[in-house]
Amino acid sequence: MTNLAGAGPVPRQLEERPRRFVPGQPDMWVFVLFETLLFTGYFSVYLVSRTQNRELYLQSQSHLDLRIGVFNTIALLLSSWAIARCVQAAREGAYRSALTNAFLTISFGIVFLTSKVLEWIKQIHLGNTFTSNDFFQHYFFMTSIHCIHVLIGFLVLGVLVYQLWSPARRSQQLVETCATYWHTVDFLWVLIFALLYVVR
Amino acid sequence: MSTTFNKRLLIVWLTLTAMTLAYVWIDHTADHNGTFTASTVVTVSAIVIALVKVRIIFREFMEVRHAPALLRRLTDAWVVLVGACLVGSYFIGSALAS
Repeated sequence: MTNLAGAGPVPRQLEERPRRFVPGQPDMWVFVLFETLLFTGYFSVYLVSRTQNRELYLQSQSHLDLRIGVFNTIALLLSSWAIARCVQAAREGAYRSALTNAFLTISFGIVFLTSKVLEWIKQIHLGNTFTSNDFFQHYFFMTSIHCIHVLIGFLVLGVLVYQLWSPARRSQQLVETCATYWHTVDFLWVLIFALLYVVR
Repeated sequence: MSTTFNKRLLIVWLTLTAMTLAYVWIDHTADHNGTFTASTVVTVSAIVIALVKVRIIFREFMEVRHAPALLRRLTDAWVVLVGACLVGSYFIGSALAS
């Protein structure tokens, strides 16, 4: 039977853990570092492209609302904070709190995704589409690739909730692996936000 | 211990949010009468602030500060590598354009 109430016993896998440990599965870290390099390659292309036609990029960039970007970033930072609390709660055996924080993470993720879609709609109404110019091609490509990562993140968080729900399925390593993926979605957005909205 | 740790997470989130809000100030001071102008200082500042935020996320939210030295050094090296690629691309692109 599902037991969500109160703190459960600390799993033996945690008692046997060394003082220094890799959070989650090492494979996820390989993925994170590889993914970061892929994005960095694309960011570099964007920055070089930007310097070749500064006026067009600056003029197009002025159509973006920095406040929306800030709102997006804070929403994702809130989700990252919530999943960090989820990891901490699960480690202490407080699975009800861990689940609450997992749901908070999903909620802030949905807030991010909704505001991003609304921003796309706003830009399309202003006549700025994927084919308008180089800046908006980069803008729509970067933000949509990132949103695909957010959608995959929802699947990952779904697995996390499923695993946390039943005592028989709980695994601290899996909780940390899911959190590592979600934090990656967060820090990739931190970079995308700076590059699209702030750089001049 | 738990309370202390959660306070730490709160401070981390507040720091990251404050750094995000710093962009509003940079944006406000960078432009004149709503006209966007090219600025190396703004570009490099934006990239550096973003990388500091990424490192904080690695160290605190992703718990790399508790990880073995290999992962700690690897993630630090990654932040430096990403920074070098971004700032390098900007300067190389600027040199090619002029």
